[in-house]
Amino acid sequence: MEKVKQKDLILYSGLIILGLAAPYLFSAFKVQLTYLCVLIVLAMTWNLQGGEMGYNSFGNILFYGLGMYLTASVQVGMFFPLAEWTESGGEKTFVHTTAQYFQGIGVGLLVSAIIPAIVAGAIGYAILGLRGHYFAICTLGLGIAAGEIAGGIEIIGAGQGFTTPPFPAEIVDVEARGKFFYFLSFFVLVLAFVFVKYIYGSRFRLILNAIRDNEDKAEAMGIQTMKYKIVGWMVSAFFCGLAGGIMGGLIGYIDSTDVAFDGREMGVFMVLMAILGGKGTLWGPIIGATLFHFFKEGLWTFILGWQYVALGVLIVVIVIYFPEGLMGWLREKYPERFGEVIDEKDRKSQVELK
Amino acid sequence: MNKLAKLFITFVSAITLALASISSSFAKVEDGMIVLGSAISLTGKYSSNGVHTQNGYNLAVDRINKMGGVKVGGKSYKFEIIYYDDESNPKRAAQLAERLIKQDGVHYMLGPYSSGLTKAIAPVTEKYKIPMVEANGASRSLFTKGYKYLFAVLSPANQYLEVAIDLAVEKNGGKPVKIAQAFEQDAFSQDVRLGILDAAKRTGSKIIIDDKLPKELNDMAATLAKVKATKPDVLVVSGHTKGALTAIRQISEMKVDVPMLAMTHCDAAKLSKQHGKKSEYALCASQWHKNLSYKDKFFGTGKKYDKDFKKEFGYAPPYQSAESSAALLVFKDAFERANSFDRDKVRDALKATEMQTFYGNIKFGPGGQNTAKPMILFQVRCKGDVCENKVVAPTKWASDKFFHPIPPWSERG
Repeated sequence: MEKVKQKDLILYSGLIILGLAAPYLFSAFKVQLTYLCVLIVLAMTWNLQGGEMGYNSFGNILFYGLGMYLTASVQVGMFFPLAEWTESGGEKTFVHTTAQYFQGIGVGLLVSAIIPAIVAGAIGYAILGLRGHYFAICTLGLGIAAGEIAGGIEIIGAGQGFTTPPFPAEIVDVEARGKFFYFLSFFVLVLAFVFVKYIYGSRFRLILNAIRDNEDKAEAMGIQTMKYKIVGWMVSAFFCGLAGGIMGGLIGYIDSTDVAFDGREMGVFMVLMAILGGKGTLWGPIIGATLFHFFKEGLWTFILGWQYVALGVLIVVIVIYFPEGLMGWLREKYPERFGEVIDEKDRKSQVELK
Repeated sequence: MNKLAKLFITFVSAITLALASISSSFAKVEDGMIVLGSAISLTGKYSSNGVHTQNGYNLAVDRINKMGGVKVGGKSYKFEIIYYDDESNPKRAAQLAERLIKQDGVHYMLGPYSSGLTKAIAPVTEKYKIPMVEANGASRSLFTKGYKYLFAVLSPANQYLEVAIDLAVEKNGGKPVKIAQAFEQDAFSQDVRLGILDAAKRTGSKIIIDDKLPKELNDMAATLAKVKATKPDVLVVSGHTKGALTAIRQISEMKVDVPMLAMTHCDAAKLSKQHGKKSEYALCASQWHKNLSYKDKFFGTGKKYDKDFKKEFGYAPPYQSAESSAALLVFKDAFERANSFDRDKVRDALKATEMQTFYGNIKFGPGGQNTAKPMILFQVRCKGDVCENKVVAPTKWASDKFFHPIPPWSERG
């Protein structure tokens, strides 16, 4: 990779400082900021296979929910019998010590990243042969099925839901929990960004693009498309799982269809955010997720009861006026700017021209 | 630095400033107002019950404010509620609770609708030590978590239909019965199921069908087909408002004959209005009925509450509204006894609550559940085309005799 340019360095360090300072600057908004980080991770990683690879998946929620259940299960299961914890109306109370809580969530998050990735590999092997609408519908089914199945498994609470371990009571500072989850999600965001950025500079992205633009031709060029498609989806699953694990701990209560396998909301949002910002770009999903979150948090309050109508209008507006997303729209309007931002050689030549 | 980057930085700093300026939280008691917060399901699958809850809250706020408000330290305060729509989604509810407490500076909370949402909010209120009086989270597991700031004016969910099984056994000459049951996969209904399991064990009854129904319940034909084939003595269905409506609709369509039908949420679903004679003989668990003999000085009797509520909102109050109104009475009482806005003093006062409201007696057990009020059962009975809910148990308030068994569809007009 080329060395990071000075301008980018300023931008990135600025963003990181802002990210680190945010929970102190906007202390009251910690939870919303945590959501924002998670939403960006979801949009960014959805974009990898939705935007770059051209495989529109509505099933990434599967990995998100899986990650959520896995983290909570590991966190409980490491120290207590899981079945007794989740037993509906269970009379026993188990309390995690501070050390147990953090060990549990650490191991849990690790598991919640790896297992969804493996699952994505296995499922991907089976269904990534489908293309276009067939793939989209198939993945839609995956998310819904997962929700219904999880709602029937007693050991993870079934329809009763799963209360995740509460934040250790020994930590007296009421802000500690908010900060912990914020920094955790911010860390995952940075991790995901660095990784995606790396992919953007690699041959892997070109292969994904080749698959999107003409899969048969890519195959004819000697690219083992199946292999790359699976890896692409596994990367998405890895980060979706992590995001789910964090959200489970943050929300504190996992419900099979409303919180974990929440295809109707999170599953659609991650697609929407990527499209809003512009799929197939590095910054598009990030900008899309941020705008979407602001729109949601801001407007939801003022139009009580009508928020979904507003969301519907937003979707229509995006599809009609910004079919390529905000980044796509900007790129069309100011192509030279994008030359500067995206293509280094082009930027230099532009600068010289000036 | 190019223009785009400048634009970006301007944008970010503008947002930073905007957010920083509004992040200082407001006081919870200002200008003679006590601000309460609540996340309510105004959209989504619980929207009808969410509105019942909100109406109950609003009616009580109006009434208390009109009758002099809350007197603390010799000054009179008025209640005000900040509502958000939780979209019937626990994730959203938890987030909104956080928002109410951190951004809106709310120091006292009212509960949402449904056990699942209460389960999502309780950890948040507990963390910030915010007293919450809730009226619609009945799941037993809410009261076994050792929550200190959660108070529920209702009886736990497992008590809803236990009595119905006892009644079925009694009608069967004391012999065990065959039970068919179908429950929505949500925290509340699953708790009702636990109650039935306990009752079945106690009476030696056998559960021959034990189905789980999906949320967004619109079809339970598969369960009913099994019921038709196996002929149980009692069919138990619980799935909030939609569950009650779906059950009656399909039982009448499929002409399923079962001697006893026990359900929840009949009054919230306005069964007797919506389905009329088709819903006759359904036995329903309820937290409250207007004919009960409780009273208080704000709403008078249950009948008076029924009348006032009808006048205000145009429909008869289901128990979800009544219990929600009662939550405000509990808060008022606690504030006045604490004579302070110190949250811990208010909490202690709530803990020591022992009062009668039009809705029933209220006294909180160690887990926060109301231990002073029994559940009641009513049965839908029709005269001509007009159907009404008649209390049949417990005998103290029973206005009618329990009708058993339900006549087969071939004999029903």
